[in-house]
Amino acid sequence: MSSQIRSLLEGKIDFEGQKLAEKIVQIGLISSTIVSFIVGFVVQDLKVAFAILSVATIFIALITLPPWPVYNKHPLPWLKSQNSKKEQ
Amino acid sequence: MHSLYQRANGLTGLLSSCLIGLLALVALTSFLFPAHPKGDVNIKTLKVRWGQIDRHPAQEWAFVQFDLQTDLESLFHWNTKQLFVYLVAEYTGSKGVANEVVLWDRIAKIKYVFRDFNKTFRNASAVELSVRYNVMPYVGVLTSGEVGRTSKERFPALQTQG
Repeated sequence: MSSQIRSLLEGKIDFEGQKLAEKIVQIGLISSTIVSFIVGFVVQDLKVAFAILSVATIFIALITLPPWPVYNKHPLPWLKSQNSKKEQ
Repeated sequence: MHSLYQRANGLTGLLSSCLIGLLALVALTSFLFPAHPKGDVNIKTLKVRWGQIDRHPAQEWAFVQFDLQTDLESLFHWNTKQLFVYLVAEYTGSKGVANEVVLWDRIAKIKYVFRDFNKTFRNASAVELSVRYNVMPYVGVLTSGEVGRTSKERFPALQTQG
């Protein structure tokens, strides 16, 4: 039971998934910062700027933090374990 | 980035950098609104009385009534939190010391007393009132300016009560 919770919290994804998630975080956060600044400046309201950035951050967190199946499309094939006494 | 905790760490780390960048941009936009509103300030009455107020020693006190006509709306933009507008009296005292005395401000609505270090306004230069402001932003540097100033007016002779 505790190992199930632990693996749920750990949310492992594969290497390709890590690359993709990191790219989404970087492009998403930086572009939403720029958008929030421009929109906030146009409507002359600081609240609007920070609201846009907050909503965008929550959205990015939702799509990149959980181990969605997209991030586990390239699982690494592991070698089968061998019972060798050398490694012990 | 392999675990949920590491991804959250990466996200919040970049978010803090983005927030600093956003705040810096907001602070810089204050310089895009170079407003210098002007207005009319006039001395209505200027009186000098003698007496004792609170724990100050007996001395002369000056009383000013002024008219102010100005429009400060151009100072308000998305990064303006509030304005601090204040009235300054400028004159040179009898011992040659240039004085700037704050007499009135807009936010705190405090009335300051108008008195001289020498306890008298005799031989002081003519007094000039200026209305100035500080723009207090949400983010960034405090900027200030002057709305206008009155013409110079001599301190009148000391009056008896009444």
